Amino acid sequence: MAETAASPTQSSAEQNLSARVSPARQLAEAFTAGSLAGTVELSELPFLTMVGLRADAGSETAQRLAAATGGLPAASGAVATTGDTSVLWLGPSEFLVVAPTEAHESLGGDLIPALREALGNDAGQVVDLSANRTTFELVGPRVRAVLEKGCSLDLHPRVFKTGTAFSTEIANIPAILWKTGEDSFRIFPRASFAEFLGRWLLDAMREYASPEVP
Amino acid sequence: MSTQHLPEHPDFLWRNPEPKSSYDAVIVGGGGHGLATAYFLAKNHGMTNIAVLEKGWLAGGNMARNTTIIRSNYLWDESAAIYEHALKLWEILPEELEYDFLFSQRGVMNLAHTLGDVRESIRRVGANKLNGVDAEWLDPQQVKELCPILNIRDNIRYPVMGATYQPRAGIAKHDHVAWAFARKCDEMGVDIIQNCEVTGFLKDGDRVVGVKTNRGTINTEKVGLCAAGHSSVLAEMAGFQLPIQSHPLQALVSELHEPVHPTVVMSNHVHVYVSQAHKGELVMGAGVDSYNGYGQRGSFHVIEQQMAAAVELFPIFARAHVLRTWGGIVDTTLDASPIVGLTPVENMFVNCGWGTGGFKGTPAAGMTFAHTIATGTPHRLNKPFSLERFETGALIDEHGAAAVAH
Amino acid sequence: MLLIPCPNCGPRDETEFHYGGQAHVPYPENPNELTDTEWSRYLFYRENPKGIFAERWVHSTGCRQWFNMLRDTVSYDIQAVYPMGTRRPDLAADPAVEAGTASTAADSTTTGTAAPSLSATSLAASPTRTAPEGATK
Ligand SMILES: Cc1cc2nc3c(=O)[nH]c(=O)nc-3n(C[C@H](O)[C@H](O)[C@H](O)COP(=O)(O)OP(=O)(O)OC[C@H]3O[C@@H](n4cnc5c(N)ncnc54)[C@H](O)[C@@H]3O)c2cc1C
Ligand SMILES: [Zn+2]
Repeated sequence: MAETAASPTQSSAEQNLSARVSPARQLAEAFTAGSLAGTVELSELPFLTMVGLRADAGSETAQRLAAATGGLPAASGAVATTGDTSVLWLGPSEFLVVAPTEAHESLGGDLIPALREALGNDAGQVVDLSANRTTFELVGPRVRAVLEKGCSLDLHPRVFKTGTAFSTEIANIPAILWKTGEDSFRIFPRASFAEFLGRWLLDAMREYASPEVP
Repeated sequence: MSTQHLPEHPDFLWRNPEPKSSYDAVIVGGGGHGLATAYFLAKNHGMTNIAVLEKGWLAGGNMARNTTIIRSNYLWDESAAIYEHALKLWEILPEELEYDFLFSQRGVMNLAHTLGDVRESIRRVGANKLNGVDAEWLDPQQVKELCPILNIRDNIRYPVMGATYQPRAGIAKHDHVAWAFARKCDEMGVDIIQNCEVTGFLKDGDRVVGVKTNRGTINTEKVGLCAAGHSSVLAEMAGFQLPIQSHPLQALVSELHEPVHPTVVMSNHVHVYVSQAHKGELVMGAGVDSYNGYGQRGSFHVIEQQMAAAVELFPIFARAHVLRTWGGIVDTTLDASPIVGLTPVENMFVNCGWGTGGFKGTPAAGMTFAHTIATGTPHRLNKPFSLERFETGALIDEHGAAAVAH
Repeated sequence: MLLIPCPNCGPRDETEFHYGGQAHVPYPENPNELTDTEWSRYLFYRENPKGIFAERWVHSTGCRQWFNMLRDTVSYDIQAVYPMGTRRPDLAADPAVEAGTASTAADSTTTGTAAPSLSATSLAASPTRTAPEGATK
């Protein structure tokens, strides 16, 4: 599991990245065409670094992992953010670290090695999940209306607060929904569901291209 | 096929007698199976001093709620034997019961959507033929010829890769079937007693000698349980357990349409089955709700998914409307096969576990169960379906043939 | 559609969960000492009550944790959720058990030998239990 290329050179890292195809790459043009500026816009943020963590809450292992990330969230919905790294609560002993692309160890980042070191040989997990999910960004005043077509969480701002994230279902598929701003969400579908969810979102957005029927 | 007018009912169906203080045999449950059992007890075994006790109204349980698919294309010899026997009885019963219950042998198709389905289906066609069950394998083009409104394009999520087809299979009008049996039972002297709930049993040692009901105690020499979804509850009253879980199973109908759908189409894989009833409504069902339930209702997402599947297979259904939905309580077993036979209580017999697919079995269940009650021994056809099979391990796994409810 | 109160996430639609059947079914300690009858009971026989049923659910697309639940199989009314590995709460006897999270208790598929479920959430007693912020509908 700890098989790492020893500090890859900048140029091979760049090559690595340019050779990669993100899970919703084939929809990039459709996302641009289907986005409605100032209403609701959809894009893919490819290749974010994502690390799955498992450790029993309150254990020493969890504390060491918390020190490495800057903190672990305590309950459903909570997100612990330090700098450009955020940790999402997935379950009582399961978390998802989300960090920029450059944080990945193939690009010279030290986040994953640091987490692996924090875990040591203790019971728990540090797993590179960067290729497991992709990230959609959905922004604009209509995001809530679009998501409400296929997500049963209460998305009203009175209930769904900015800065919280939930593992749930959108359009009948499992996805993590993270409210990053008043009118912006990040959605993490599994890679194999990305095309389906991308097309579903485009379809859900389409009606807002037409003038509202009073 | 054209939309049919329902036949005239006979003037008289059955009496509503008061329960007597004792009978030679009591059948618990006035659904299809209870009525068929009473009919064959009277007709084949001359037992007419018997009663069918029904806690609600006659055939208001699953008999009133099923989607009436009748077929016999099951995989294993034991199942093929009993279901095929049932189908042969269906073919003669309208005449025998002197009642046109609209048995329509319009054929049933079971679609295959994956290579695994295809292999499984072809294997089943082979097994059916060996058992004398009419079965054919159809390629997508042949499927389309038989049912032109089916979408057989290969660019959908679950393309139609073929189907098994049983031409002699079909549907019947379920409530008329119940009334047909009830009328003949009544004619032969059987008491059909509605609003009579069995609340307990009288035992002499290990032997049952009577039933307690909300209308008083009734002595009897023999008891046959035909309570479908409530079988566990009655077994518990009698002091034994059954390997049964009761689940909600839902179905729905659309408004009436011109005839568009000439056969019956089932898909295990996308979980839907559809026929068009005689009056013109589209009748559809899906799989059971996952949780145990005696509520005669299930969750809406099950219906939503079943309709999504139906619309993908039959694009023209997108314009139809749901008129009614409902649920029944189905008694499922682990091997998707029924339990018919003796129980740990002497003189008490059980017929249950038909789960999502017991309407088609009604005549054979009744005929063989009547034999078992009358003689105290299994019938050749129901012997493999004994309660002991869960101990011997001689299960009859029909999940492939029975996967989607039907 | 059931609205199931996950002890970790609060009420969520049934579609996020999977059903696990009867709770509190211990794996036999010595399977090879059982008679065929006893083994068949373990393999094939489960309770099927008309009324309150103790059953297992897992929040598959949420926190991925198993928990136990008391539900009425006729009204589908959910009466309590409580951790795996704890004893079935006595609805009649338990005073209004306080709402709490249930997730960290012993993960158990074996006999319920743990302490009585003080952390069980009795919904009958506190129907308006608060869910984690943002999670409810
Ligand atoms: C939605 C749905 C679709 C189905 N589709 C099909 C299909 O297409 N093809 C097919 O072959 N099968 C189908 N089935 C299954 C089929 O309906 C059942 O297997 C069959 O009806 C069961 O036998 P029954 O008719 O005797 O049951 P029921 O009609 O349920 O009869 C049992 C009776 O026992 C009574 N009872 C219970 N407890 C007591 C008591 N304590 N005292 C007195 N009476 C009692 C009940 O009130 C009930 O009337 C379907 C079932 C459902 C729910
Ligand atoms: Zn949860």
